[in-house]
Amino acid sequence: MSNESEIFQKLAQSIWDFDPDAAAAAAKEALAAGIAPARAVEEGFSPAIRELGDKFDRMEVFLPELVMAAGAMKAGVNVFEEAMKKAGGSLANKGVVVLGTVEGDIHDIGKTIVGAMLSSAGYKVVDLGVEISVPRFLEAADEAKADIIAASALLSTTMLRQKDLVEFLTSRGKKEKYIVIVGGAPVTQEWADKIGADAYARDAQQAIKVLDGLMATRRA
Amino acid sequence: MDLSLILKRSELGALTTGDEFLLKSVSMNTMRLAREAKLKFDPQILVNQDDEAADRLFQAGRQLLLETGLYCTSSRRVIRFSERELDERLKCLPGQVTVGQGKELHTVRHRGVEDSAFPTIFGGPFNCDTDEATFVKFNEAYAREPLIDILFFPGYLKELDGILIRPGSGLSTRAAILYGRYAREAVMRAGRPDMPIAGHAVMALNEIACSSEEWGLRSTDPRAMVLISELQVDDVTLTRLVYYKSIGAPIYMSFTPLIGGYGGGPEGTAITAVASVIASTLLGGDFVHIGPQHIKLRVQTNQHSLWLSSIVNQAIARNSQMIITTSHTTAGRPGSLQFALEFSALAIASVISGSNQSGPRPAEPLGNNQNSPLMCRLFAEVGRATTRIDRAKANEIVLALYQEYKDHLDLATSPRGKTFNELYDLNTLEPSEEHYATYQEARAKLLALGLPLD
Ligand code: B12
Repeated sequence: MSNESEIFQKLAQSIWDFDPDAAAAAAKEALAAGIAPARAVEEGFSPAIRELGDKFDRMEVFLPELVMAAGAMKAGVNVFEEAMKKAGGSLANKGVVVLGTVEGDIHDIGKTIVGAMLSSAGYKVVDLGVEISVPRFLEAADEAKADIIAASALLSTTMLRQKDLVEFLTSRGKKEKYIVIVGGAPVTQEWADKIGADAYARDAQQAIKVLDGLMATRRA
Repeated sequence: MDLSLILKRSELGALTTGDEFLLKSVSMNTMRLAREAKLKFDPQILVNQDDEAADRLFQAGRQLLLETGLYCTSSRRVIRFSERELDERLKCLPGQVTVGQGKELHTVRHRGVEDSAFPTIFGGPFNCDTDEATFVKFNEAYAREPLIDILFFPGYLKELDGILIRPGSGLSTRAAILYGRYAREAVMRAGRPDMPIAGHAVMALNEIACSSEEWGLRSTDPRAMVLISELQVDDVTLTRLVYYKSIGAPIYMSFTPLIGGYGGGPEGTAITAVASVIASTLLGGDFVHIGPQHIKLRVQTNQHSLWLSSIVNQAIARNSQMIITTSHTTAGRPGSLQFALEFSALAIASVISGSNQSGPRPAEPLGNNQNSPLMCRLFAEVGRATTRIDRAKANEIVLALYQEYKDHLDLATSPRGKTFNELYDLNTLEPSEEHYATYQEARAKLLALGLPLD
């Protein structure tokens, strides 16, 4: 089965090269060789992107590499998703996350890192961008059949929009439907508790851990 | 360069997306230019000693700006500059700008590397969260410090009438007006009614409402305009700029090069920083504030930020007449010795390299009014003493200071410090004995390291 390990190698290399076209091509090759998409992701893309995440933590690579690698992986994962859809199934992921920075706030770097790391950890991430209004979060979550709504706020004044988000979900009877996770420099666990958010994380690594836990209980 | 040209380009420039601009244009070009410029961060040399490296950095930054331009996130268009526009603007800079009025007229100057002229001190709360009840006294205590030339960012009112302020709301406009009134009131009470106030009411667009010759921020006061890192502007920033220019206010441009962000490591981010300083000047900035920020540590006193600040300031100082200042945000909070050691390290690294001084402030204040006028006095004293040493000595002192605090930069565990209300007697506006002792302890330490404080 040397062909298989060669394909895994190609999948990984496309991440190292930040090359979405190569990632898509390698994904097609994997499908043609009859490798199950979940395995291709787990054994091809994931180790490479995990290593890159660790390097980012040690400041050996930086934001552009992280974002580009996540972009390459997305291109590959899209190919698998298309194929699964055609076959009437869907590619397993850890959960669907709708992510954005709240209205009035344009800080996007922390949110982008969280998005990149969550997708490399196996979540399907819909990044809405910055200045996202409360109703837009819900609309996008309904549309994407999301499990998780993740809201970033970097200003002590825009943290209020996280509170609005929880209030709005509650008023629409959607609070139980979604896991709401909040973050950003001024946000704390106390704040998350106070506004009734389901989770808080200090950084991207912790976000993965916390969400993994919550998703496990949710799916159990 | 005329502002109308920039506004025109922000409407008619090439269309692109933010991702394309940041990844394809800024990151890719920066990576290439960093390789070509052969810059290398060395943990033993936090104060750059190599003039040629500084000059190569300047050229790389200039080149980056020519290749990428500025991105307007609102119109999604790229504002480009020609080589001729850039060079002509740099050639005719005055190298000095006057702010304030009457007895408080103050000239901010371009400084050179190892310059013997004192830096200008922009000192004040630096927009830490401030409550309404303390606002005037807090600023008055800063204005009473004679070494502070310009009252710097009087404080961030985040709550008014018991309600948290939503940016852009009517309440936030009311807060902006009060910001102007209270800041003027504070300098009047300190006996310096014409003291220049660098203003940044932080309420988005409506911060312009704090302007008034009679009771607020005057047209002789520097007004802040922030570039979005890296190399971006938006409608709000451009609108502020147009307004401040129209009233003739000196423009205090600021930006935050983010080490580990779209510029990559410290070397690449130094290039984006130089490009941003030049861009700020082309937009009409009279002085440019650099906040050498770090994506993981979120403070400006780590070794990468120290080096970046030093080499970027030298690149600008040696190759242009642009006037720069450096912001100082720390992990340790006011009231702790670490706060003083951290801002001293960055002040020495920056001032020796040609910078003026803005700050200092804790990067993550833990409550309202968490800053100290007495610490700002020390900050100014450190800047003055730095004009009497050379780069080799500066490096030695900065390394020694960095050793002392380097293991305590994590914001979650760094010294929690105290608030102005705890550090000062609010009736006399004098620091407590305990706080004064911390000031003296820091001075003794700096003197022992060979910094010639007055
Ligand atoms: C870079 C920066 C900017 C850039 C943003 C560029 C960009 N493209 O994002 C610019 C210059 C545009 C900017 C503008 C402003 N800024 Co600013 N900015 C910063 C700075 C220096 C760094 C932020 C950053 O990117 N950090 C790096 C990333 C990786 O960290 P992070 O965002 O915290 O994200 C991590 C965690 O928080 C977490 N996380 C983040 N989001 C989420 C979401 C979820 C769901 C989870 C689980 C976790 C999570 O994981 C991330 C990765 O580890 C901070 C200072 C600081 N110490 O944070 C100030 C800071 C946030 N800004 C501040 C201010 C005041 C402003 C302005 C109002 C200034 C002004 N007057 O114009 C404007 C606001 C404009 C607006 N409407 O939003 C203040 C906020 C003060 C306060 N307490 O409210 C800060 C704290 C600086 C300060 N101490 O004064 N800023």
